[in-house]
Amino acid sequence: MTSDFIIIGLYLILMFVAGLFFSRNIKNTADYFLAARSAPWFWIMGAIWATNIGFLHGYLAHGGAAYEWGLIQANFEWFQGPFGYIMSGLFFIAFYWRAGVYTVPHFLERRYGSAISLIYNFAWIVIFVVTIAAEFYLGGLFLKNLLHIPFWPTVLVLAAVVGTYTLLGGLGAAIMMEFVQFIIMMLGTMPLLFILLHLVGGFAGIKEVLIGQWGVSPQYFTVLPDIHHPYGPGPWIVLGQCLVVTLGWCAGHQSMVQRNLGARSLYDAKFGYVVASIPKTLGAFLYIVPMIAAPIIFAGNGIFVERADASYGKLILNLLPSGMLGLFIAGLLSAGLSSISSVLNSTSTMIVKDIYERHLVKGRSDHHYFVAGRAATFAVIALSLLLVPVVLKVYLIMWLEQTLLAMVLGPFMGVLMLAIFWRRANAAGSLAGFITGGFFAILLGQAFGVNIFFEISWWSFVVTSIVTVAVTWLTAKPRPEQLDGLTWESDFRAKLGQVLKERAAENGVKVAAVQRANIRRPPWYLNIKYWATAILLSQIVLLLFFG
Amino acid sequence: MIEGKKGADPKLIVAIQMLSIGIILLILGLVVLFLSPLRSMDPFIRLTFLISISSIIVVGVAFVIGGSIRYKRVKRS
Repeated sequence: MTSDFIIIGLYLILMFVAGLFFSRNIKNTADYFLAARSAPWFWIMGAIWATNIGFLHGYLAHGGAAYEWGLIQANFEWFQGPFGYIMSGLFFIAFYWRAGVYTVPHFLERRYGSAISLIYNFAWIVIFVVTIAAEFYLGGLFLKNLLHIPFWPTVLVLAAVVGTYTLLGGLGAAIMMEFVQFIIMMLGTMPLLFILLHLVGGFAGIKEVLIGQWGVSPQYFTVLPDIHHPYGPGPWIVLGQCLVVTLGWCAGHQSMVQRNLGARSLYDAKFGYVVASIPKTLGAFLYIVPMIAAPIIFAGNGIFVERADASYGKLILNLLPSGMLGLFIAGLLSAGLSSISSVLNSTSTMIVKDIYERHLVKGRSDHHYFVAGRAATFAVIALSLLLVPVVLKVYLIMWLEQTLLAMVLGPFMGVLMLAIFWRRANAAGSLAGFITGGFFAILLGQAFGVNIFFEISWWSFVVTSIVTVAVTWLTAKPRPEQLDGLTWESDFRAKLGQVLKERAAENGVKVAAVQRANIRRPPWYLNIKYWATAILLSQIVLLLFFG
Repeated sequence: MIEGKKGADPKLIVAIQMLSIGIILLILGLVVLFLSPLRSMDPFIRLTFLISISSIIVVGVAFVIGGSIRYKRVKRS
């Protein structure tokens, strides 16, 4: 066990020192919030996946849900995730690039005005602060249960490490650490799958024991179950989860989008997002499939698991030898830290660029906003730590996060789709639609007792779209200059190339980076469409096999 | 907004990131390898562990080399 502590301590020290070292190169707001627009596609790929996988959305919560509900949990990795990544990479990212924005709310502001942007901004800031508090809480609890170390000192050490490199180094440091974390998670925690399959006789062995001997329902091994499934009915997974929640998450979650905006070119942003769906698919083999085999291991060794989200920790503690355990814990910490750092960086960006700079203190120097960015990062960490004692139960955290997400993602997808694909959509319509959709989501959950998150999201998306269209028709058209560069047009590609050339001309030091944009044609083996098609085909094969 | 300091060179940023990533992975991989009781491990677990840790070390080495080359190139230009 001592060696495990050394490995975990060393890992945290390396993160801390590298963050300090990197921060010396950060000089202005573009460096701090967009990593000097320097990230190549492989950085984007690793950072997006690491951002997406945390304690809350990954090993502990998703692994725990897989332990309880089975392979249905893999629909995030084998179906919706890749779909959301690919669609966002192919379609949505180009609009944000073309608009020249730092944040998603900034895009909404340019298209619809500041009212909807501020509502969206505040909603996400609340979600983000709760998410960071939840990640700290789960991280502290995980290490306390696993290694019997005190909760608060652990949380404070995690906050100091992740806070230091994110606060000082901004997006560049966050992306760098996320890539390290991506490698450690992918290469360091993958052996668990092979060890478990070796112990239980492969996937067929798991099925034989669970279905043949224990009488578990075959739906436990289905990614898309029938409509009566209590956890996630198949049709709602396709409609609500895939088309609304996941797409809204991938196209509207500031942490996901910001990594793409930090790319050195539009090609890198798009390609990085599309190929991030490969680690996303492999993620199921890190924490979903192993947790399906876990009940057999627990039964064989007489291990009692009191809560599903504690199952992953119990599994590795009882199965792995010293040294390897330390590496695994470092991998799990990676998941949490990467999630925290990305959300932290995005929250400070939204606070400074969307609220402070545009509404509170206008026209100050770049250095002023750079310092404000660091102050905002510090304030968000402090606020999240204060919230940790409040979020006492994991179920409360998940409920709060999912309620807020259901209120935001359905309405967001409604107004975003109309913003891009319908030039007539206006500010009054979108505001009315967004607010009505959000309240309808609460009404469905609270008054009508609908407790399937995907179903709520789908109907709030539908209501938002209908109300937006209706109110838009009753109010004035947006002026053409309000739409310039923000909507889909037949000559979109040509106009995008023109915008990128202008940006290159305006922006002295970034010329080389911006000129690499999507104007040139990549070699066939780096063609985004070929990769997207191949990945989508592999998803179909997985669904045919496990569907 | 009033213009501020000139930003960092994107190529230098990437070079430093590559170098840092490589050093972290290399140090972590080597320390984990030396601290692990390889002899007392089950043979199958040992095999998977060695494959895993050697992959991390190889990626670390590759990034140190790649980062160093990029860093030198940026400094020279």
